[in-house]
Amino acid sequence: MSILDIKRNSQKKQIRRTIWIYLILAILMIVINKVYGIFGHGVHSAVMTWMFLYPLLGGVLLFFLMDRLLPDMTTRFSGYRLFYNSYNSGIAVLTIGSFLKGVFDIAGTNSSYIALFYAVGWLFIGLGLGVLLTLILNGRKICLSEEREQ
Amino acid sequence: MRNFFSKPYRWAAIFSLLLMGAVTFVLLDTFVIQKSVVVVESPSAMAVQETSSTQSTDPVITENSYEDENIKINIETVQKYDSTIYVADIQVSDVSYLKTAFANNTYGRNIKATTSETAAAQNAVFAINGDYYGFRDGGYVLRNGTTYRDTARSAGDDDALVIDKDGNFSIVSESQTSMAALSDNWQILSFGPGLVENGQITVDSSSEVSQSMTSNPRTAIGQISELHYVVIVSDGRTSESAGLSLLELAQEFKDRGCTTAYNLDGGGSSTMYFNGEIVNNPTDGKSSGEREVSDIVYFGY
Repeated sequence: MSILDIKRNSQKKQIRRTIWIYLILAILMIVINKVYGIFGHGVHSAVMTWMFLYPLLGGVLLFFLMDRLLPDMTTRFSGYRLFYNSYNSGIAVLTIGSFLKGVFDIAGTNSSYIALFYAVGWLFIGLGLGVLLTLILNGRKICLSEEREQ
Repeated sequence: MRNFFSKPYRWAAIFSLLLMGAVTFVLLDTFVIQKSVVVVESPSAMAVQETSSTQSTDPVITENSYEDENIKINIETVQKYDSTIYVADIQVSDVSYLKTAFANNTYGRNIKATTSETAAAQNAVFAINGDYYGFRDGGYVLRNGTTYRDTARSAGDDDALVIDKDGNFSIVSESQTSMAALSDNWQILSFGPGLVENGQITVDSSSEVSQSMTSNPRTAIGQISELHYVVIVSDGRTSESAGLSLLELAQEFKDRGCTTAYNLDGGGSSTMYFNGEIVNNPTDGKSSGEREVSDIVYFGY
């Protein structure tokens, strides 16, 4: 087994750990919504009910696709950490922002700061996806040049 | 810098701290931090300056009634809909005896006092909690003839109660009526929904405040005829009293002959105050006792 294979296995484990963490977070969001609903005198917030979709679709699904379609992503391309940090931060801000909006909806109040959470969250996600796209395009160029050299 | 954040968990740790700080700030800003915008002169102090708002003869007061030459109040307690309902029938000689007051005589966000504290400060004969305007950024606020907030709520949840200078009630949609067109009125309360309009019930069994489907403590006010009003407060969320749905509340107003009725802030806020005492049993379902609110509607001098 080459060093590259060992590194590849290690990075694969990291992606799978990320998927598991996101899955646990999605379940945690569902539980939080249910528990909060018990004390809400029957008042519900759609934003809070669906907040688990951010870690589920944004986290589990994306990293699952990356695991399947881009297995060499983390080993081949530098800059992966920038994508990882930025994208995860975006998902975190959107999920927390949705939870806060749900709390305010149920209490019958509002806050102008909630819009900032959504703006910052999507900004981080946009930045992360932008970095990811750049990495994929640059990676393809490297692969093609490697094939030509061979 | 790039190397610093490329280490696993460093970015996550710092970002989590920042996020927790932001969440704490937003929660404090929404629920705790007081923002005083306008300090107003006490409505009762203003009334002393007006000769029409003074009382010349001693009132006749019993445990559940009050009568003088300007204000007549009768309170009855009814068991209905598996709930305890307090119904006040009120007649006044002039709309100036139907007033509102802010907690601590201050308009702003998160400025609160219990209904009984605010009522006592105004020497109110009878009071109920208002619309808790200070918990939200939207909704018209016009009190005792002065406009404080002209931000309309969005369509669908925007019924406002308008009390004109003759004391007549009407219900308007804030998203369809500008504050400029309403500024020449006596009071505007912004909670809702409207319960009865033109003598007809305007809610159904699926109507609720903020998607709530449960029976709750309620506070609502209606008009029977010129300067003749009905106020209903119900206990709720207890084993002794379940609380009313909006449809049951509307039915009660209709049965009592109201042409217009409007739902005010309920739940733990619901409080009825009469002659220095709290009439109902305020509770939020977890603990009993009065909740602090932004404002009251009261009858007095």
